[in-house]
Amino acid sequence: MTEYIENPLFWALLVAFVATSTMAVRQRRTVRLLRQEIQGLGERYTELETGYEQSVRAAQEQAEEETKTVLKSAMRTLQGLAAEQQLVLSRLQSKYGDSAMLQDLLEIDHTNSQFGRRAQSIAVLCDGWLGGRRDTASVYDVVRSAQGRIRHFRRVEILSQVDFGITSRAVEPVALALAELLDNATSYSSPDTVVEINIRTVPKGICVVVDDAGVGMSDEERTRAEKLLSSERASGVAGLGNPPQFGFAVIGLLCERFGFEVSVDTSSPYGGVRAVVLLPHELLTAMPERKAPAPATVRTAVDAGDGPEPALSAAATADGLPRRRRKRPMAIVPGSAPAARPAVRSGSEQAQIMGAFQRGTRTGRATGPEGADRTSSTRGASSEGHEDS
Amino acid sequence: MTDRDAWEPEAAPLVRPYVITKGRELPDEEQLSLITLVTAAPADPRRPARLSPEEQTLLDLCSAGYLSVAEVAGHTQLPLGVVRILLSSLAEGGHLVTRPPVAPAALADREILQEVLNGLRAKFG
Repeated sequence: MTEYIENPLFWALLVAFVATSTMAVRQRRTVRLLRQEIQGLGERYTELETGYEQSVRAAQEQAEEETKTVLKSAMRTLQGLAAEQQLVLSRLQSKYGDSAMLQDLLEIDHTNSQFGRRAQSIAVLCDGWLGGRRDTASVYDVVRSAQGRIRHFRRVEILSQVDFGITSRAVEPVALALAELLDNATSYSSPDTVVEINIRTVPKGICVVVDDAGVGMSDEERTRAEKLLSSERASGVAGLGNPPQFGFAVIGLLCERFGFEVSVDTSSPYGGVRAVVLLPHELLTAMPERKAPAPATVRTAVDAGDGPEPALSAAATADGLPRRRRKRPMAIVPGSAPAARPAVRSGSEQAQIMGAFQRGTRTGRATGPEGADRTSSTRGASSEGHEDS
Repeated sequence: MTDRDAWEPEAAPLVRPYVITKGRELPDEEQLSLITLVTAAPADPRRPARLSPEEQTLLDLCSAGYLSVAEVAGHTQLPLGVVRILLSSLAEGGHLVTRPPVAPAALADREILQEVLNGLRAKFG
């Protein structure tokens, strides 16, 4: 042992060993420190990253919100103007209904409706105003309203009707969604084809089926459409592309807000797209009363016999021509209608009448010969009861 | 929202007239004037289901006998031109029969009326 102690090599080794172990310990500590630091840095980095993401998102959302607010109020003005113009046009149409100008007025009306619809669609994307309050309307009328909001409305044909109405709250959204569908259907099919609409009753409510004879959608387009129609759509006006494709985004939003369903996942029998709008029972009501006063009032007027043309339904000649019915005596003095007279005449009345009759015949006989030079028409028309003058 | 609704003007009709007419053109004045008489075609017991409510209403109106175009329009709330378009399309479809207006009356001869008047004057005047 002592020899080891005296051996300088031993000491040298010992020193070396101690030095190495100290270094090792120190290094290990450094490594640990470094590792800690790296970990800290990593954490900080993630923190920063999430912070950055958050602020970017916030900025984006804020920008989106601001865009929405601006667009919303801008659209509100445009929608108001379009609605106002529509009212003016309605007035003009009744005012100049019998002139050739009506044709032009109808055309302006058509353009105005399309314009109004565009503004309305953008407003929907910006959570804005959907339009004035509407009365309950029949499904058929809502479909026709939608039809009127697109350019090629002449190509749309409604093949069936149902006896249901749509609640006032849902009239505008359903019309707008359908208009967007019809716009797609007419835009993506050739101009000489017809877009068919079938309205059907199904256990869940009512289906409005829109079939076009276009080229259909590619898988990519279909995926995009389905995404926009489902709830996973990106909200807002960003990302609609240029030119913007509002259609499905608008429809998706309206579906979510008002509780109806739209699907475009089937092909139409004509090779194009079949879009199906399912209106649940919550949005349906009984058929609203038609505002036109038409048949009932006319019929009563006819029955009363004082209409412009007496009732002819019962009387027609063999060859189908209406038979003229005898007109009722004209009542010159109001209230002197025959019904007002008592059924049984009193004695004095009877006497008066008979007296008048007698006087009449007497004067008739008396004036007969001297009136021979007069025309026969005047003689025959001589009056009874006025003779005492 | 509520104050907005307060000044909201009443809304224009939901279905626009150009949709009701299906974008058809106004008929000729000779073909269907204001005083043309129309009536529902007699041999049309089954009412075609494809007609729009407005066309049904017009047919109902005309089913009672001959009415002038102006009268028919008066009973509806549609612009007169729109009614004319609808009536002419109904006539084309064979649902309506049109008849040119009755020639302005050869019913009463002016001279006879004058004589009646003279006679009355001579007797009572």
